[in-house]
Amino acid sequence: MKLLFHTISRIAVISVLFVIATTITTHAQDPRIRLAHLDYLAKKASETVDVNIDERLIQLAAKLFNDKDEDEAKVKKLVNGLKGIYVKSFEFENENDYSLADVDSIRSQLREPAWSRLVNVTSKRDGVVEVYIALNGSDVLGLAVLSAEPKELTVVNIVGPVDLEKLAKLEGNLGIPDLGIEPTKHKTKNEQ
Amino acid sequence: MKRSGSIKLVTVLLAVTLWSTISFANGDDFNSVVKMIEQFYSVKHEGLPFLAKAAMKAAGAGARIKGGDAKRFAEAGSIKLATFENQEFKGDFIKFRQMLNDSLTQTWMPLVQTLAAPDQEQCYIFVRENGDKFRVLVVTIEPHDGTVIQATVSPKNLALLMKDPEEGAKAITQEATIIDQE
Repeated sequence: MKLLFHTISRIAVISVLFVIATTITTHAQDPRIRLAHLDYLAKKASETVDVNIDERLIQLAAKLFNDKDEDEAKVKKLVNGLKGIYVKSFEFENENDYSLADVDSIRSQLREPAWSRLVNVTSKRDGVVEVYIALNGSDVLGLAVLSAEPKELTVVNIVGPVDLEKLAKLEGNLGIPDLGIEPTKHKTKNEQ
Repeated sequence: MKRSGSIKLVTVLLAVTLWSTISFANGDDFNSVVKMIEQFYSVKHEGLPFLAKAAMKAAGAGARIKGGDAKRFAEAGSIKLATFENQEFKGDFIKFRQMLNDSLTQTWMPLVQTLAAPDQEQCYIFVRENGDKFRVLVVTIEPHDGTVIQATVSPKNLALLMKDPEEGAKAITQEATIIDQE
């Protein structure tokens, strides 16, 4: 009887630990970043753009878009395999209408080990442009772009397999602003 | 006998409940959005869906007569339009946005939302599947005017809308309001 009780207890503890571990791992690998807390900035912004192309819409698009039609085929190719495209962009009349805390609230979600910042990327835009990638081994899970200019704050979050080339093609499409992102030549340690 | 009567009654009740659920899910979110705007902003709409539909059909026929060159976004006869003209849209637009999203996101997918605080301008585009086509709901609110448009679009036009949502929404709104004026 005691043995049976011990065995059941052990199984219960292992199950709970397994559930906790799975939850933590899933959360760490979730390349969707939270943006809703920035919504309060819409009251100060001269323009707010919020794009939500979720998995349902991408799947519908992939299912219904015709490969023989040029417009449909282009969009289908771009969104193929993606699980979501989310953009939040604020334009302000004045500088400092958003705070460093707003920027940090995004950066804090883009930390290692789930996310890595790509250093070999520059932008034609003024201000800070940071590109982050979420990897699981060699698989790309998602990408995030944080662009903080004096009067503009933009966050782009693409969930799914995406690279810089695809990001460049997506700029100006699907509600993603033209961020002027371009990969630079990889620097060696001696050059840095 | 009593048991079979109860079963029939339960079946009828279930059927009625199911029918009303399906009707709500499929359907008249257009009207509920118009009502929501009216209640939130204390405004009154002017809707001409029947005339808009008729004009849309006429425009479609016109396009065909011209050789089909005239480009249209919405499918013929699919437009539902409600306009609010020369009225005051005063209220917390963040609150309105929240209300709108809460009521629609169960059945519609929010595609793009743009807001401009100085003039309290708002534009919302929602999309949902409608057989082999898509249904688009565009809500535009400006300081003194507003429009609610529901239209069915082909996958090709949804592709165009997804590529450039802002321009797509403008095209749908223009199409619906120009037809309304004809």
